[in-house]
Amino acid sequence: MIFDVVMPALGATGGDVTIQEWLVQPGQRVEAGTPLVVVETDKATVEVEAFRAGYVRELLAKPGDAVSIGAVVARLTDSMEALTETPVAPLPSTRSTREHESTEVKASAGKLGVSKLPAKASASNRLIPDDATEISADLLLSMFRQMVLIRRFEDHLYQLFLQGLVPGTLHQSQGQEAIAVGVCAALRRDDVIFSTHRPVAHVIAKGGSVNAIAAELWGKATGCARGKGGQMHLTDVAVGVMPTNAIVGANVPIATGAALGFRLMGTDRVAVSFFGDGAVNTGAMHEGVNLAAVKDAPVIFVCENNQYAASTHISHNLRIATIAERAKAYGIPGFTVDGMDVVAVYESARAAVARARRGEGPTLLEYTCYRYMGHSRGDPGNYRSKQEMAEWRSRDPIPKCRALLLNDFGQDERTLDEIEAECQAEVEAAVAFAMSSHEPAPEEALRNAYTTWPEVFYAQP
Amino acid sequence: MPSREMTMAEALRDAMRLAMREDPRVFLLGEDIGIPGGFGGGFTVTLGLSEEFGHERVMDTPISEIAIVGAAVGAAMVGMRPIAEMQYGDFVFCAMDQVVNQAAKMRYMSNGQVSVPMVLRLPVGATRRGAQHAQSTEAYFMHTPGLKVVCPSNPYDAKGLLLAAIWDDDPVVFLEHKLLYGGKGGRKEKTSLDPVALVPEEAYTLPLGSLAIRREGTDITVLANMLMVHRAMQAAAELAQAGISAEVIDVRCLAPLDWDMLIASVRKTNRVLIVEEDNLTGGWGAEVAARLGELAFDHLDAPIRRIAAPDVPVPTAPALENAYLPHAERITEVVREMVGR
Ligand SMILES: Cc1ncc(C[n+]2csc(CCOP(=O)(O)OP(=O)(O)O)c2C)c(N)n1
Ligand SMILES: [Mg+2]
Repeated sequence: MIFDVVMPALGATGGDVTIQEWLVQPGQRVEAGTPLVVVETDKATVEVEAFRAGYVRELLAKPGDAVSIGAVVARLTDSMEALTETPVAPLPSTRSTREHESTEVKASAGKLGVSKLPAKASASNRLIPDDATEISADLLLSMFRQMVLIRRFEDHLYQLFLQGLVPGTLHQSQGQEAIAVGVCAALRRDDVIFSTHRPVAHVIAKGGSVNAIAAELWGKATGCARGKGGQMHLTDVAVGVMPTNAIVGANVPIATGAALGFRLMGTDRVAVSFFGDGAVNTGAMHEGVNLAAVKDAPVIFVCENNQYAASTHISHNLRIATIAERAKAYGIPGFTVDGMDVVAVYESARAAVARARRGEGPTLLEYTCYRYMGHSRGDPGNYRSKQEMAEWRSRDPIPKCRALLLNDFGQDERTLDEIEAECQAEVEAAVAFAMSSHEPAPEEALRNAYTTWPEVFYAQP
Repeated sequence: MPSREMTMAEALRDAMRLAMREDPRVFLLGEDIGIPGGFGGGFTVTLGLSEEFGHERVMDTPISEIAIVGAAVGAAMVGMRPIAEMQYGDFVFCAMDQVVNQAAKMRYMSNGQVSVPMVLRLPVGATRRGAQHAQSTEAYFMHTPGLKVVCPSNPYDAKGLLLAAIWDDDPVVFLEHKLLYGGKGGRKEKTSLDPVALVPEEAYTLPLGSLAIRREGTDITVLANMLMVHRAMQAAAELAQAGISAEVIDVRCLAPLDWDMLIASVRKTNRVLIVEEDNLTGGWGAEVAARLGELAFDHLDAPIRRIAAPDVPVPTAPALENAYLPHAERITEVVREMVGR
């Protein structure tokens, strides 16, 4: 459903009011009462609030416009699905645009709706990359396969966990697959990602070996870090998976540094930092994003807003409606995108990656999503309602992608079923490989703390 | 090879300049390090480098210690050789996660798939600025597996060890004592010692982990680092007048630490005194004393003793700071007690 936001009377004399500044952006979630826009009447400057909860679909007037009472100034939707056809916002593409923006903050807010795109904004300014012709069936199929592979792996792990067969901790990402897959599909092999305590989806999506991940979870010598990493510390440098980080927020400045390194080396490689909604309140996040912003570092900040940091709902941790809004405080573009839609994720990530490669600096991408499972092993998730979980599950990215392949990309059920079966077989083989691999030798514990450490200086009593 | 008299600040600058000329992977980041008309970092060490290498390679950052160290970690992991500077060593506590959980653990957690070849420069030492601009922090890092810790006492060592730290593939915490820099004009410290040394103009390295015998002796081994080396040397000269022969070893690398050299000295002198500016409890001397107790007990004729700062924060007033820091007189006194002469 789409709802019109109508300019209310505001106790003014009844003449026109002037739009001063939009306080929301398309794609943003609002609650009833969230201030939407600042308007000037003949008596005062007032904020107009949302009359209901929903998502901002489009803004129909720009700052400086005079609008009459009763005019439709914006549209809201009640579902995020309706937002996937939402006009996308322009990315400021050059330094001069940005400098411009900082002196004319108010004017820029009005340029966000596509209907209000400034005439001379080039295609490269948009969140959909310039060369985004239609997504090919091959690409969508491969993204489908990866999402299924991740889901099957995570589900299989969960079953084994219930049987007491998983030795260590487990942070699962069922429900969030589209983000890992869509973002990594926008990257090259030589780009790098920095992930979190919940890394399995990211590592698989970037091309990490499922066998090596499984073996690492089981603490085996065949694991990607020979058992010295574990579930939260997966690494596969050959495919650009840097050590995943269990300190919330810590990878933000690290990814920034990698990006600065890439630029200093004269390459066009980019770095991605994945983090959760909980990470955005760390000091590391603030310092890292700001440093990237002032240095135009080729890094993409990917926030997976799954609504919860452990048991804490985002509403306890944040006074603003979206995380993407934070971008404004750093002078970089920020967008809220449906993270349950792999195509939307892929396209937005591609735009941000292209922008980074062009040397135009970082982008903050907030993907709304939900983790179906508990925070970590043994968390039944009692802080969430059944209804909430069911609502999010009804928007599952995998069936959505499957439907798209069947309806719009000429794929048949059999092909997709085969993919599912292949993924299931791959997952089971990986776990069998992990369980049957041998354990690392005890001496392994002493290796690799240092690259070089003079043997003569080992003086263990 | 041609040499030139240099202060410690000049020697450190020279090391960075030579490394940057030689290898494009080397770059600097920190606060106020390259601003034209600025200070060249807190203590002039990077002065003039942005003019030669530009602002991309002498990267001024916001006041963001987490980001400075974090960015160095990230850049190092993808193959750069960053040198990060804290304006004062005390500020590293803002970034402890990045040092201890990130820089130090990346190599291990990834089973050697990545290494973190970065240098973190920390100006340390009490200089009448008060508790938050004064602490000697080496023990924290010596305690952390994955880090190497260097703490030179003179310009020659500073240059050779900094170059070694830059070329080393592991993260190195590099402590520089503020009273040893040799800053000039307005940047000169009131109580500074400012050693000057003849330093080769070309690049050279000293092995990380190496110690240096500053003065040979037979009656007692005095172990000290940074400013305390100079105080120990002063004491040793006085003790010589009284016929006591003290061996002074400059513990210029705390990790790795050349235990063999320490044990060899203990075999000769049979007595050990440790002098350190950091706090007594859990200071580097505690580890050295414990380890020598285990490794060289048979060669010890007396309990190992330590002179360290008391277990309070660094005070500010000259009279208090003076009372806080170990002095040559105290060293002389304790050595005489230990030697019994
Ligand atoms: C610095 C730090 N503080 C606390 C934790 C414990 N912890 C691990 S994950 C987590 C929640 C993180 O939430 P979010 O960033 O939203 O990521 P998600 O788990 O939802 O993927 C917490 C509190 C930690 N690992 N690191
Ligand atoms: Mg979360």
